[in-house]
Amino acid sequence: MRTMRKVAIIGVGITPFRARYLDKTYFELAYDATKLALEDANKNGAEINHNNLESTVYGIYNELFERQFMPDIFINSYIGMNNKPGTRIASGGATGGYTVRMAYSEVASGLSDLCLCLGVEKCNDCYDEQTGVTTPEVLNAIAYSADMTYEYPMGMMAASSYVSMVNAHYEEFGNPTEEQMAYVSVKNHGNAMLNPKSQAPMKVSVENVLNSRIICFPFKLLDCCLYSEASAALILANEEKVKELGVENPIWITGVGAANTDCFIGNREDMGRLYSNIYAAKAAYKMANLDYNNIKSQIDLAELHDAFSGQEVISYEELGFVPFGEGGPWIEKTFEKPGEGPWLNGELPCCPSGGLIGCGHAVGATGIMSTGEAALQLRGDAGKHQVSINKGRAISHSIGGPGAAYAAIIVMANEEGLKKP
Amino acid sequence: MSEEFKDHQIRDVIKINYKYTMGGQSKFFIELKNNKKLLGTKCKKCGKTWMPPRINCSDCYEPADWLELKQTGTIEVSTIVWYTTSAFIKAIPYGIGFIKLDGAETALLQGIFSENLVPSKIKKGKRVKAVFNKQRDGKMTDFFFVPEDEYDNWISKPEYEGGV
Ligand SMILES: [Zn+2]
Repeated sequence: MRTMRKVAIIGVGITPFRARYLDKTYFELAYDATKLALEDANKNGAEINHNNLESTVYGIYNELFERQFMPDIFINSYIGMNNKPGTRIASGGATGGYTVRMAYSEVASGLSDLCLCLGVEKCNDCYDEQTGVTTPEVLNAIAYSADMTYEYPMGMMAASSYVSMVNAHYEEFGNPTEEQMAYVSVKNHGNAMLNPKSQAPMKVSVENVLNSRIICFPFKLLDCCLYSEASAALILANEEKVKELGVENPIWITGVGAANTDCFIGNREDMGRLYSNIYAAKAAYKMANLDYNNIKSQIDLAELHDAFSGQEVISYEELGFVPFGEGGPWIEKTFEKPGEGPWLNGELPCCPSGGLIGCGHAVGATGIMSTGEAALQLRGDAGKHQVSINKGRAISHSIGGPGAAYAAIIVMANEEGLKKP
Repeated sequence: MSEEFKDHQIRDVIKINYKYTMGGQSKFFIELKNNKKLLGTKCKKCGKTWMPPRINCSDCYEPADWLELKQTGTIEVSTIVWYTTSAFIKAIPYGIGFIKLDGAETALLQGIFSENLVPSKIKKGKRVKAVFNKQRDGKMTDFFFVPEDEYDNWISKPEYEGGV
C-alpha cells in the first residue's frame, strides 16, 4: 500500500434520480453524467475533455434491467472512449462503492493518470404484465441475485433478505424498533427536500411511515428505498495530474475498504450482522489512519447505504459510530436535538443527500453518487444540504448482494482534512 | 425551436430454458425426491455440518461426508412477505425464515407455512417440522416447514405428507 500513488476526485457528475426516464436510455444517462463530471472538473480548475480520460471503470449491476449483457461496451462507444481500457464492476447494491475502489486502484497503481468512474442503472423498463406496473418485475430481476437453487425458489427478494438481518438484530438487542426505523425515513426523505437531484423529497412523520403499507414484516413502504434511474460519474486523477491541471479543490481518497461476507445469511455466526460492513470499515479506516472506535469524531458526514431504514440503524453500529445495540437509541434520542445524532445538523450527519430512501437507488450509480456527494460536501459545493465541514473528512458506504454480502467503504479528505490528526 | 419529445417503448422479454446440473449437491436432491430425507454434510476434518450441503468444507479445504439431519428444527429468524416479485406476487402473504435443523450448525432458508400466519406464530425459537409434497421434483420447493402443533393438520391434506 505504501507504494500506491495519491488519488483525488477532481470532478463529480450526478444526473437527477428519477423513477423513470422516458427520454433517455442507460447509455444516454451515462453520457450525461460523464459530461456533468467533465464540466465540474473544469469548474474545479482542470481544463479537460473526454479525450483526456485514459480509462473507464463502469459500475452497472443488473443486465436484466438494461436488457443488455455487457452494457459497458455500449456505453464505452457512446461516451467516446473507444480504444481505451474499460472494466465493468458488478457487486449488487455495492457496485458503486466497489467501482470507486477499482477506479482508485486504476490510478493509484499508475495504470492511468486520469480515470472515469461511471455508474448507471435504468431499472424501470422492467414491466410486469400481470399487475400492469414495473415494480414486481424490477424486484424479480433483482431476486435472481439470490441463490437460484436454495433461496430464489422460496420467494427470497431484497426486502426479505435485509429484513432477516434486521429482525435478527432486533431479537438480540431489542432494536431497531419500528419507530426507530421510521426516524431514518423521516430524516432521509426530509434531507432529500434540500437535494434538487432527489427522487423522493418528502416531509413525512413517524406516523406516516408506520401507517404506510406493509412490505415485509416489519418493513413498511416508507422504510424502503425506491428504485431509481440515474447515472453518476467521478473523474479521478493522481497527485501529479492534479498539480499539472491546476485543480483547485481536489478531494483525496485516503481509504478504500471492501469485504464480502457469507452470502448465505444462515451460515453466519450471528444473523443480525452485516459482517461485510465491519471488515470493510475497519480496512478503510486503517488505510486512512482513522480509528474505528473513534470514527464518529473524525469525520464530518457519512453518505450511508440506506437500502432499508432498519439496516441504516445497524450500519451506525457496524461502521463504528455507536457501540453494538445502540443504533436505534442513537437516532431516537437525538431527534430535533441540534449537534446530536445522525441528523442533518447533528454530530455526524448521515445521508445528507437523502440517501437511497430520499435521493434514490439507481444501483450501479448509487455508491458513486454517495461518494460524489461526500466529495462535494468536503468541497463546500453540496448546495442547500451542505453540512458544516470541520474535520475535512467524510465516508461513503455501499452494500448489496444476497444478505448484503458485499460492502465497500470509501474515506475522503479535503486538503485540510489531510493535515488534521 | 426544439421539437417536442415523444417517447417510444417496445415490448420485449429475455427467456432462457435450463436443464441445470446439481453437481456434487445432486445426492441432496435425489434423497429429497425419492426418500423425503434432508441431507446435510459434515466435514471429515473439523466436523462442521453444512446445510445447505457442501461436499467440500469451505473452512478447511477437506471433503465432507453426507449426514442425514432431523426434520425438526427451530426458527432462527423469519418474516412475512406482503409485497414481492412478479414471480411470487400471487402467493402473498407468505412466511419465510431461516431454520436450524436439529443437529445442524447453519440455518436453511425455507418457506414457513401456517394456518394462522402472524409474526408471533413463526417467530424466533418456535419449533417447526418439515412437510413434503406428495409430488416431488427434487427441488427445494418439494418441502416446507410448519409449526409443530400444525403438523398433523398439514400432513392430512391430500397434496402433502409427513417425512421419515
Ligand atoms: Zn472443515
